[in-house]
Amino acid sequence: MIYFRGCTVREKLPHIEMATRQILKMANIDHHILDDEECCGSFLLRTGFADDAREVMAKTAEKLKGEKVLVSCAGCYNTLKNDYKEFLGVDLDVIHISMLFENLIKEGVIKPDKLPVNVSYHDPCHLGRHSGEYDSPRGILRSIATLVEMENIKENARCCGAGGGVKSAYPEIANKLAQKRIDDALETDADILVTSCSFCLVNLQEASGNPKPKIKVMDLSEILLWALTRGK
Amino acid sequence: MVKNMTTPMDESEIQAMNKSFKILNKRRKKLLDNEKTRKLKERVRQIREYSISHLEELKVEAVEKLQSNGVEVIYAEDSNEALKAIYSLVKFENTVAKSKSNTASEIGLSDFLQTKDIQVVETDLGDRIVQFTDKKKSSHPIGPAAHLSMEEIARVLREKFKREVKSDPQEILNAVKEDVMDELSHCNVGITGANSLAAQDGSLVMVHNEGNISMVSLLDTHIVIVGIDKLVGTLEEAISVVKLETIYATGKTSPAYMNVVSSPSKTADIEQILLMGMYGASRVVVILLDNGRSKTLKNSRESLLCIGCGSCIVTCPVYDVMGYEFGYGRHLGGRGVVFSRYLRDKEVCFKSGLFTCTLCGQCTLDCPMEIPTNQLIEELRREMVEAGILKEKHGETARKIKKNGSPYSQ
Repeated sequence: MIYFRGCTVREKLPHIEMATRQILKMANIDHHILDDEECCGSFLLRTGFADDAREVMAKTAEKLKGEKVLVSCAGCYNTLKNDYKEFLGVDLDVIHISMLFENLIKEGVIKPDKLPVNVSYHDPCHLGRHSGEYDSPRGILRSIATLVEMENIKENARCCGAGGGVKSAYPEIANKLAQKRIDDALETDADILVTSCSFCLVNLQEASGNPKPKIKVMDLSEILLWALTRGK
Repeated sequence: MVKNMTTPMDESEIQAMNKSFKILNKRRKKLLDNEKTRKLKERVRQIREYSISHLEELKVEAVEKLQSNGVEVIYAEDSNEALKAIYSLVKFENTVAKSKSNTASEIGLSDFLQTKDIQVVETDLGDRIVQFTDKKKSSHPIGPAAHLSMEEIARVLREKFKREVKSDPQEILNAVKEDVMDELSHCNVGITGANSLAAQDGSLVMVHNEGNISMVSLLDTHIVIVGIDKLVGTLEEAISVVKLETIYATGKTSPAYMNVVSSPSKTADIEQILLMGMYGASRVVVILLDNGRSKTLKNSRESLLCIGCGSCIVTCPVYDVMGYEFGYGRHLGGRGVVFSRYLRDKEVCFKSGLFTCTLCGQCTLDCPMEIPTNQLIEELRREMVEAGILKEKHGETARKIKKNGSPYSQ
């Protein structure tokens, strides 16, 4: 299995790569990362660079073909799973960490503790509305913490604002949207807001504030690792 | 005028709008989940799909049938042709009455008539209020004043009428009603839109709650501006479309009024001799407008399925923070951005917010026609980038990805 980290995790969020690989190790899952991992093409597709996207996607497809591919980022997931089929006719065997990790918990391969925290889950558009995956992340969170939901979730989850190239071209709009999502989370009893997309994570963390965030924002892999290593 | 088009909504207006939308969304939620609504939605989706697949035939049929009903029809390729046609009908009038029409706004009718020294009386309460504000912009196709608080409205009216108007909804209603009724008594021409046009029957269906369309359409000449995207086959189909539109727009199953106009007012009670203009209009003129719709059908087909309910902007996260800046004129939100490409051009589409959509897909989910706006926007972005119209930041990042396989590399 290839663990495809995605650009943001690879270059900006190394702790997510570490958490993910540590969980894989605990589950004895043989995997490797690509030394020459490149962009999945999502950014190019969403912002109108179709020809460039095709080129980049073809290159990445060659590296991933025939292997099981695990991804951290919801954006990579939607692109590799759905757009590669549509644009290149390549049907990749892609799985998002939420799906794999939920299975590992269900099968008893990994046995996380229950954390004494309330968590809320933000559905990334790419994993939720665009790929229909709402339950796996919630399955994990229910088994490791107390899940308290926001008002608008699943199909109706408010977009964090980072998608479609908006964060890079209109950071102030992206931030305004993320503020709204943080407000949604603050209306619950959640101590932590969890998501499963590196774009959402960065955008929501910025909106929540630094160094004293209004609410802590974590990636699914981070909180799962916490539950797996607590007291050990 | 140009300034008004680009002046963004301020924070208090956005907040008032969000409050209105939240109430609306709550009110309609149960109704939208209802099995009957789902069935109606399926039926209307088929009606609209058939209509846009047979648009040319429906156009011909509608013109023939309307004419045989005694309705004059003027086909307008674009805004200019439509304005010219309307001007020739109203050039001797001082004041004309108008109901809410997004199509009339699209062609800039009120501003145009103003330049010809013809006053326009908006008869819809929300529209009349918006007409008195400096920005003159509405925030929802059915609830144009959704962004104005009661205090703000009362302030605007005090200034306009130069008398005390309390910040009280009933008092506001009374003040505007009195003003509009007074103006109406001097009008000979009424201008309305239509929510649907049944080609087979030559019938126009108009939906309203206030009763204003009933009054406006009874004036001596009734002008109806209607886009070719409103065409459907039969009157029964037209009723289904407007019923669904009402459900999604207001959270009610039916509006207070549905007017059907198929001909001028007529009688044959005296020896079967046909006389026109009994109580209603003696002359009905339909302006059938293309204005980019045929181009839309060719290039962004699904967006022409739209029934105009405005559901897409109620839950749009970008509209939620930007308001009517996201969209073009009264074609609000992402679908409006798509339509602006054909209604106007690439530059206008870019400025309407082609690159501010996060492509989240919420509008498709909440659209009764399931218009895949995020996909249409993605396609339009490709066209723009090819034409060299893009955000510099995106170009920079694209170069980095192509060169080094990562958006973060130098």
